[in-house]
Amino acid sequence: MTSPYLHINGIRKTFGDVVATDHVELEIGEGEFMTFLGPSGSGKSTTLYILAGFQDPTAGDIRLRGKSILQTPSHKRNIGMVFQRYTLFPHLSVGENVAFPLRVRRAPQAEIAAKVKRALSLVRLDGFEERMPANMSGGQQQRVALARALVYDPPVLLMDEPLSALDKKLREEIQYEIRRIHQQTGVTILYVTHDQEEALRLSDRIAVFNRGRIEQVGTGPELYASPATHFVADFIGDSAFLTGELAEVKDGRATLRFNDGTHLADVPMHGAGARGGKAELMLRPERIDLSDAAGPQGASLPVTVEDVTFLGNNSAVTARTGWGDPLYIRLNFGHPMMGSVGRGDKLHVRWQPQDAHVFPKA
Amino acid sequence: MLMNFDKLGAWRWILSGICALMALFLLLPILFIVALSFGNSRWLIFPPPGWTLKWYGDLFADPRWLQAAFTSAKIAAIVMVLSVAIGLLASLALVRGRFRGRAVLRGFFLTPMVLPVVIIAVALYAAFLRLGLNGTLVGFVIAHLIVALPFAIITISGALETFDPAIEDAAILCGANPWEARFRVTLPAISHGLFSAAIFSFLISWDEVVLAIFMASPTLQTLPVKVWTTLRQDLTPVIAAASTLLVLLTVVLMIAAALIRKGKSR
Ligand SMILES: Nc1ncnc2c1ncn2[C@@H]1O[C@H](COP(=O)(O)OP(=O)(O)O)[C@@H](O)[C@H]1O
Ligand SMILES: [Mg+2]
Repeated sequence: MTSPYLHINGIRKTFGDVVATDHVELEIGEGEFMTFLGPSGSGKSTTLYILAGFQDPTAGDIRLRGKSILQTPSHKRNIGMVFQRYTLFPHLSVGENVAFPLRVRRAPQAEIAAKVKRALSLVRLDGFEERMPANMSGGQQQRVALARALVYDPPVLLMDEPLSALDKKLREEIQYEIRRIHQQTGVTILYVTHDQEEALRLSDRIAVFNRGRIEQVGTGPELYASPATHFVADFIGDSAFLTGELAEVKDGRATLRFNDGTHLADVPMHGAGARGGKAELMLRPERIDLSDAAGPQGASLPVTVEDVTFLGNNSAVTARTGWGDPLYIRLNFGHPMMGSVGRGDKLHVRWQPQDAHVFPKA
Repeated sequence: MLMNFDKLGAWRWILSGICALMALFLLLPILFIVALSFGNSRWLIFPPPGWTLKWYGDLFADPRWLQAAFTSAKIAAIVMVLSVAIGLLASLALVRGRFRGRAVLRGFFLTPMVLPVVIIAVALYAAFLRLGLNGTLVGFVIAHLIVALPFAIITISGALETFDPAIEDAAILCGANPWEARFRVTLPAISHGLFSAAIFSFLISWDEVVLAIFMASPTLQTLPVKVWTTLRQDLTPVIAAASTLLVLLTVVLMIAAALIRKGKSR
C-alpha cells in the first residue's frame, strides 16, 4: 500500500481542560485543495498550527510523503502559510518581502530576482517590487503574502481564513485568483474557513470540523447530497428538521413515528440509533415538492398550507405537518400548483427517496 | 471630542493666550541663560550691556570643562547602549511572556520613575560605599541606568505591543530560525521604538544632576556636576556658555526623537 501524500494521523491537542482537536484523521493527496470548514473554535486553526509546527500535538502524528515532520522545527519544514492577519514585514518593500524566504536560504541573486518576478506575476502584481506594504490595500497585501509563501515551492500551502478581513466583493475576486493559482501551480493547499460558500467554491474536498473533530470529509456535492450527521446537514445548505421517534431500525433504514401517529417508513438512516429513541428527518426546501397525491412509501407527508408568498420567479409556501411542525417549500415559476395553491389546502409534500435523511437525536 | 476648538469663539483667544504665556514661562530661563552666555558683562547683568564670544573661548580653553563634557558623553553613551539592550530584553519578556506576576514585574521595573531621585541617590550611595563603586565610572553608569531604564522599557514595550507576533511566525515559516526572525524582522520593525529609547536614555543621563553629585569624585565629574560646583565657587558667565551647549545638545536630540516619531506615524 502506498502512503498518502500528507497524513494527519489521529491528532489530539489539549490546552489544560480545553480539547482543541480530538482524533483528527485525514489523508490528503498531492495537489489537492482541501478545506477545513467549521464554526469558530472548532479546532481548524489548531490543526493548521500543528502542521506549521507552532504547536506540538498532545497525541498523533503528521506524515508528509510517509515521513513524520513533527521533529522538524517550523523553519525547516519548508511549509508555506498565509495568515488571517496581515503579516508582511512592514520595513521591507514588496519585492524584499517575497525575496525574504530565498535570502534566508542563501539563494543566488540572479535566481532570487527571477523567482520574485515570477511569483509577483502569478498573483498579478507585476511591477509592485518597490511598493511598501503600508501603501497597499488589504487584498493586495494578502496577494503579496501568497506570493511570499509560494516563492520557495513549498510541498504544502496553509491558508488560515486569509480573506476574512476583506469585504464580500473583494473576497470573491480573490477566491477566483486562488483557484487559478492552485490550478496553475498544482500546489497542495490546506485552507481554513468558516464560510460554506467559500469552501464550496474553492475546494476539491471539504473536511467539516465541529468541536475539535472532523464530522465528515467529502466533495461539496457529496456533503450536500448525503450529509453524515445533523451538524453537516445543518452547516451545508438549507435544511429543515422534523423530530419523531424511531419505530424501527433495520439495515441502515428507519421507520419514524411522529407525534400525531403519522408513520414514515424506509428512510435512509445515519449513525447509531436504537428503537424508541428520538430521531430527526432532514429535508432540503429546494428538494421537496408539493402535490395533490401522496408519493411512494417513505417519500411523502401530508401537510396543511398556511401561507403563500409570491416572490417573482418562485413562490414561498409555508405548510404545517399533522403534528404542527412548520415546513417551507419553494415552488418555481411554472410549477403546476403555482397560482392554485392557497391557505388551508390539504396537500402532500413529496421528495426523492435519496433526498431524505434520518439522524438520531442525542 | 468634548470640546471643539473651532467652536469656542472668544475662548479660543483666551486659551491660546494662556498657552503662549505658559510656553514663554517655560522658555524664559533658557533664553535668559543663552543671552547671558553671549553677554560681555562679568557679573551676569541682564540685559547684557554688549556681546562677546569670550566665555565660549574660556570654556574651550579650560581642560576641566572639556574633561567633564567628555565624561558626560561617555557615561551617557554607555547608559544608552545598556538601557536599550536591557530594555529590549525586559520588554520582550513583559510583552511576549506568559507567566504569573507579569503585571507586578512591570510595575516593579517602572518604580524608579515615581521614586524621588534623592532617595535613589542616598540608597545607591550607601550601597556603593560597601562595594567601593562611588566615584567610579561603573557606579555612574549603574545609577543612571536605574533612572533611564523605565523610559526605555515604556518606549520599547509600546513599539512591541503594536507589532503583531504573527509577523514573526510568518518569518519563521519562511525559513528564518527564531533568532534570525527576531533580528531581521522584529528589530527593524520596532526600530523607531529602539531609537526613541536610545535618545531618551542618553538625555536622561546627559542632564541628570542629583545622582551625579552623589557619584562624582574630584577626578570624575559630569558636565552638570561641573556646572553645579563651579556655580558655588564663582558666578562666571562660562557657566552660562556651558549650560547653553548642554541645552543645545538636548534640543537637537529631542528634535531627532520627534522626527523619528513623525516618520513612524507617516
Ligand atoms: N493557545 C491556546 N490556549 C488555550 N486555548 C486555545 C489556544 N488555541 C486555541 N484554543 C482553544 O482551542 C479551541 C479551538 O481553537 P481554534 O483551533 O483556534 O478554532 P478555529 O480555528 O476553528 O476557530 C478553542 O476552544 C480555543 O479557545
Ligand atoms: Mg481560526
